[in-house]
Amino acid sequence: MFNLILKDFKIGVPRFFLILPVLTGALMLIPGWIYMVVLFYFCWITIPNMLAGVRTQNDLMFTALLPVTKSDIVKAKVSVIVILELLHIVFAIIFGMINLSLYPDVVNYFFAPHMGFWGLCFVMLGIFNIFLLSLYYKTAYKYGVATAVAIGGAMLFAVLTQWIALQNSYVHDIFYGTGIDDTVVQLSILIAGILIFIALTVIGYRMANQRFLKVEI
Amino acid sequence: MLSLDVKQVSKKYDTFELKEVSFQLEKGYIMGFIGANGAGKTTTIKLILNMIRIDSGEVQILGKNIAEHELELKQIIGCAFGDVEFYSRSKIKTLTDVIKRFYKNWNDDTYYSYLRRFKLDENKKISQLSTGMKVKYNLALALSHGAKLLILDEPTSGLDPVARDNLLEIFQELVSEGEISILFSTHITTDLEKCADFITFIENGRIVKSAEKEEFVASYRLLNGKENQLNEVKDKLISYKKNSFGFTGLIHAEDFDPGLEINAVIPSLEEIMIYFAKKEAMYV
Repeated sequence: MFNLILKDFKIGVPRFFLILPVLTGALMLIPGWIYMVVLFYFCWITIPNMLAGVRTQNDLMFTALLPVTKSDIVKAKVSVIVILELLHIVFAIIFGMINLSLYPDVVNYFFAPHMGFWGLCFVMLGIFNIFLLSLYYKTAYKYGVATAVAIGGAMLFAVLTQWIALQNSYVHDIFYGTGIDDTVVQLSILIAGILIFIALTVIGYRMANQRFLKVEI
Repeated sequence: MLSLDVKQVSKKYDTFELKEVSFQLEKGYIMGFIGANGAGKTTTIKLILNMIRIDSGEVQILGKNIAEHELELKQIIGCAFGDVEFYSRSKIKTLTDVIKRFYKNWNDDTYYSYLRRFKLDENKKISQLSTGMKVKYNLALALSHGAKLLILDEPTSGLDPVARDNLLEIFQELVSEGEISILFSTHITTDLEKCADFITFIENGRIVKSAEKEEFVASYRLLNGKENQLNEVKDKLISYKKNSFGFTGLIHAEDFDPGLEINAVIPSLEEIMIYFAKKEAMYV
């Protein structure tokens, strides 16, 4: 499987998508912005372009001719997507930390980049993954509907959580009030977010794997 | 020993069916797999490579079932698809570096000797290679990982006669030591007249005949007769064409009565394909 991941990074994923996390991460430096948008650039740009490239280059047939199992093909692609997601989130976190130190007194109408916020971002990417993986691997080449539904699911989660945080005083306090200084609460949300991200991605991989076994190349 | 044994393989689609496809390729020989466009050649090749699930039947490569030993067998299979390009914007060097990691028996010395022999510049991009050079690159890859069975789908399509002849010579040389076998699908039958040992003919998803090349063509006769002689053989003809001099038609050799005063010759592979295609058209 390692060779398949290496294959994707050498010939499948354009170099630009390895630089993009730094460029989009730098958007975290805009004071008082909608910071969830930063991670959406991965969903809006990287994924559709990467999957379109895979289709154009006949990657499915190329990979199927190699001595690898279908499960490894799916596992490697999921790993590549997760690695890219982690790159995006890690750079966003780094720039988010700079943001907090640069603008300590800025009033954020939308979520500020504290630890709890990153937990929500992990859940958002988990939702994106479960929809994308399960739908894309019905055919392993039609990416339009899978990407649209996955983006829709992730955006719905982003809008809902933001709305709840603005409307509900308890949640508002966690993300805007005294809760932002409570490291235990913030860390708990981050860890819970990471665990949900892992769970949703693993479920997405399993569904993708089952569906891909039935795909005829 | 059999290099490839396709046993009663069937696969049904909504609009097309491969029905009980069977043929065998002996180790160290070239088999031409012929048929018109859409006859089922590529589907059969994909079934052999386990890229499509078989409804019934079995494919064995060097005595092992491909469905059960896919990874092991793909280590010794080399493929070239004439009309499909992979990662055409990548350099040969980059693509080879990716591919070679998947093969246990990869040999760099063999690879570079084939690059030199085929005059392939590894700094060139795949898109900069001519069709013939692309096939040669695939051959270099296959031979460098010790492939024993080469499955080539339309490798000579789109090549000029000189490049085709050059490639056919390479195929013959590869099988000469008896270790490598080639299954070579094409609709350019003249290529097979030059280099194939066996012919398998598929028409509308069914194997019409699979036999040694000379035996294959000798089992048919192409008749040239006058219009008034047509009724004497019409029922036995596979198909026929009328012209201003009379008719020409294809018949199984055993159905032809040499006592009839009709001119009969051994047909070419192309003529056999054409008359079988005409037969299909007559029943559509």
